Amino acid sequence: MICADLKVVRLILYLSWRDRLLCANSDMQQSRARLFKEYKEVQREKVADPDIQLVCDDTNIFKWTALIKGPSETPYEGGVFQLAFAVPEPYPLQPPQVRFLTKIFHPNVHFKTGEICLDILKNAWSPAWTLQSVCRAIIALMAHPEADSPLNCDSGNLLRSGDVRGFNSMARMYTRLAAMPKKG
Amino acid sequence: MSKRILCKFFAHGACLKGDNCEFSHDWKDPSNNICTFYQRGNCSYGSRCRYEHVKPSRPPPASSSALLPPGTYLSSERGLTSAPSASSPPPPAWTLDSLDDQANNNNNTGPTNPEDKPICSYAAAGDCPRGDQCPHIHGDLCPTCAKRCLHPFRPEEREEHKKACEKKHKQLEALKLSQDVECCVCLERVLSKPTPAERKFGLLTECDHAFCIGCIRNWRSSSPSTGMDVNSTLRACPICRKLSYFVVPSVIWFSDPEEKKEIMDNYRDKLRSIDCKHFNFGDGNCPFGTSCFYKHAFHDGRLEEVVLRHLDAEDGQTVIAKEIRLSDFLENMRI
Repeated sequence: MICADLKVVRLILYLSWRDRLLCANSDMQQSRARLFKEYKEVQREKVADPDIQLVCDDTNIFKWTALIKGPSETPYEGGVFQLAFAVPEPYPLQPPQVRFLTKIFHPNVHFKTGEICLDILKNAWSPAWTLQSVCRAIIALMAHPEADSPLNCDSGNLLRSGDVRGFNSMARMYTRLAAMPKKG
Repeated sequence: MSKRILCKFFAHGACLKGDNCEFSHDWKDPSNNICTFYQRGNCSYGSRCRYEHVKPSRPPPASSSALLPPGTYLSSERGLTSAPSASSPPPPAWTLDSLDDQANNNNNTGPTNPEDKPICSYAAAGDCPRGDQCPHIHGDLCPTCAKRCLHPFRPEEREEHKKACEKKHKQLEALKLSQDVECCVCLERVLSKPTPAERKFGLLTECDHAFCIGCIRNWRSSSPSTGMDVNSTLRACPICRKLSYFVVPSVIWFSDPEEKKEIMDNYRDKLRSIDCKHFNFGDGNCPFGTSCFYKHAFHDGRLEEVVLRHLDAEDGQTVIAKEIRLSDFLENMRI
């Protein structure tokens, strides 16, 4: 509890310092105010949603990381995946840039860069989304892959050709290799 | 002490002093509606004054009056005031003895028609110290403001007061309810924003989601990035994605569809009384045409009448033609 309070104090100090440093434009101020609100909301909701753990960078409120649990009854079950958020200055008028830091075998995630193909992160973005709800959308995407607009063609082709077993075993293998703590 | 009285500017969402205001910005505190001019003895609005006419809660500090019983104080007051009252100026209304005088006058010479008699202003303000023995008529209880301020013999005044009172009450209630409404874009309470210009809701025509006017206008006017469709993304509600063509600013949040309709109609009526700057009394050209919200009137006050031209195509489709110029047609021709 004390730890969380200290973090808030540090953030406030940092924000005021940064305010003085940059002659802040209104866009940036607005997005910072909103991100700060989201930060407080995340602190409060931490217990309510155990699948998502959103953490803000200590020195930059525009950089966030999230740890999400792979949804159950999918090949990603049991894995913990790390996401990196880069929030643009006009946020929430523009979507945050999100990518997977953990390697994942999924048709809509680029295997090398971790880029995510999700409409709400591109043309269907709405300012009512929050970082938390984006995480939820990504979990939903993991459970329901969209094989028809693949960023990872190999995985997309497996699904499109109907080889669900092959896809599942590949995805489970990469989950074991990259998203689970190493044994021994 | 004044900190405990509700700031009347704050109640209307327009206090510019913010935290530095000497009055309270807490909804729990009572508002003060007492006429200070009346307390000083000269309110020029008389019975038409919109503020309450009550005597000062504490008599002006006089060293002797505090020790003497109330009767003596009043009689001494009377000694001071009744002498000039014989000539012309009426005695101050707050001495009880002068009430007696007036009552006697009324009984002897004054009008006997009950409609012309004023009602007791103490009772109208909430509490008459004389109770049943008051020589004045005590008004009937107003169901809304719970004060005895309805004149029993003036039906129009009663109705007027009831209507005004209900309207005021409703508006205050709505404003109170609006305090907790949050904008879904900035996640802040709309009516707690720093500047008065920001403390406004932007109502969308097709759905009932709450935004502050700045946020929703920013979102709707933000430049669409690649692949974004203006109608399905920007013009749509950020939450339910219902398409709305315009945003209506409002200082209060509505609680039912009728209220929303009223706010919207008021807004459109207001705009309709303002001359369109594009139309410019017929000298300009308004890109919004017949759907413009502003007034399209010529210099002589005549309103613009538009006859729509329909173009029928071969396949049966009908198009409404905008202004057609021969030059436009010739430009497209290649000769």
